[in-house]
Amino acid sequence: MKPEQDNTVREKMVNPKQDNTLKGALISVLLLGAFILISWFIVFGIFISR
Amino acid sequence: MMEKHLPIPQKEARLVMAHMYVAFISLLVGGLMGLLQTFVRSGSFDLPFGIGYYQILTAHGVILALVLTTFFIIGFQFALMSKTVGLSDKQRLSAWIGFWTMLIGTLLTASTILTGKANVLYTFYAPLKAFPTFYIGLALVVVGSWIACFTNFRQLAVWKKSHKGEKSPLLAFMVVINMLLWFIATLGVAATVLIQFIPWSLGMVDTINVLVSRTLFWYFGHPLVYFWLLPAYMAWYAIIPKIIGGKIFSDALARLSFVLFLMFSIPVGFHHQLTEPGIDPLWKFIQVVLTFMVIIPSLLTAFSMFATFEMAGRSKGYTSLFGWIKALPWKDVRFFAPVVGMLAFIPAGTGGIINASHQMNQVIHNTIWVTGHFHLTVGTTVILTFFGISYWLIPSLTGRKLTKKINTLGIIQTIVWSAGMFIMSGSMHIAGLLGAPRRSAYSTYTGAEQVDTWIGYQLAQAIGGTILFIGIVLMVYIFFYMVFGAPKGKASFPIAEVSEDAEPTPQYLENWKLWIGITIALILFAYTIPFIDIIQHSPPGSEGFENLIR
Repeated sequence: MKPEQDNTVREKMVNPKQDNTLKGALISVLLLGAFILISWFIVFGIFISR
Repeated sequence: MMEKHLPIPQKEARLVMAHMYVAFISLLVGGLMGLLQTFVRSGSFDLPFGIGYYQILTAHGVILALVLTTFFIIGFQFALMSKTVGLSDKQRLSAWIGFWTMLIGTLLTASTILTGKANVLYTFYAPLKAFPTFYIGLALVVVGSWIACFTNFRQLAVWKKSHKGEKSPLLAFMVVINMLLWFIATLGVAATVLIQFIPWSLGMVDTINVLVSRTLFWYFGHPLVYFWLLPAYMAWYAIIPKIIGGKIFSDALARLSFVLFLMFSIPVGFHHQLTEPGIDPLWKFIQVVLTFMVIIPSLLTAFSMFATFEMAGRSKGYTSLFGWIKALPWKDVRFFAPVVGMLAFIPAGTGGIINASHQMNQVIHNTIWVTGHFHLTVGTTVILTFFGISYWLIPSLTGRKLTKKINTLGIIQTIVWSAGMFIMSGSMHIAGLLGAPRRSAYSTYTGAEQVDTWIGYQLAQAIGGTILFIGIVLMVYIFFYMVFGAPKGKASFPIAEVSEDAEPTPQYLENWKLWIGITIALILFAYTIPFIDIIQHSPPGSEGFENLIR
């Protein structure tokens, strides 16, 4: 009985993590931040060159 | 704990629909004016019947940026409040009084513009002077909106009394934040209209302090942008999760971002006046810093949206890094229209950061880049979300169904709108970087070489504007079909629940005294010294110029 119980506990601990991972959201926001920075520096370049 | 939602009785539905009729008729009229402008600026079209370019430019700005938005937002917010905290008979009566006051004001202002007596554009910068009914009408619109504000405040207060110790419903909390923001912001525009413009236009005083009037306008003008945006955020935070079969990522985060918007969207008006003489550069810089604070709740919102989508996708079994994107209901227009609006906010928000970047503002100041920018923010992000809201709000109020045909037509409408705006706003951004001015009719500027680099983009704007007008006609058709033509039935009013995994909402997020106190303190900090300075060092006031442009 004991090993079975351990497995259940382990599954419960692992599964919620897999379900709740927000890596995609984090990467999306980082890409968004990169887009903002790149665009900003392009216009900054125009500002400096004029 | 799950929130209880109330049915919307017919009497309340009628109130909301009254606001919607005005909004969608405004869309058609204001959109037509926009189409004509792009034709004129292409250099190959003259307005008939002696109609002036600045006349239609003023009508376009006032009808779309002030009338359409205000009526849609107030109507939508009444629907949200009715659903979450209820609307008593007395409150409904005051809401109707607010509606009629705004409508009378709108008709007064619109008729003054259409008769050519108010060619002052929607910013009505002094010393351009309009006939008094233009300003009186605007004042009535503001007063009517204040009646709506206080009705909403009262609705939540009554609910709180009967639900002691309970957290207020998220959407009601958001509506009250937005109306607080609106009330505090409109104090500025009301002050300049009542104290400066109306006496001046009536001839009671000869001159006007131009810088004071512009400063008070922009004290209002920037939070106005957030007054448009926050109702879209209400739908993103609390309605879209339900449509995609998910849950709200975090109630606390949603409330926190709204509180931050309240605090940081008002003391920032100087970033619209960065090239204006007469304002101490130090205070301009301070307000630039405060403007950048708004990036925080904006990125919180972005993360929250992606997280909501990812959580919904993963709960449906999608495990790969971006697999959850496939789980989203791309064929449901109630999701598709607002999500395209969200995507448009990426370049729109980026443009806003560039605009507000102190000296860098000189690159784009008064160029058509700025016009391109706000056609992405309010003209795409906000309006596509409002269209997305309409697809479930209108049928649920009129007791009809959102048919498959309208769903498909709505998706086509969204694509048409996006294509038109990509061409129009994109070419506006590029032409702006090349120096093309905004607010001006077609001109060859006595054959200046630089002008040749703009004309191709101005033609592109006319093409984009035409596609957008097709989008407007489609949307107005969809609206009237949903009101009168769609089969009778039941459409849902989707309000999402908060995820079980979300942290509980701390009570201090509803400490109204604290948030209003900080907001007022920030406004006093950002404006008191420079405003005293502006008044003390003012040049002589200016006389008015009527019909200077037409």
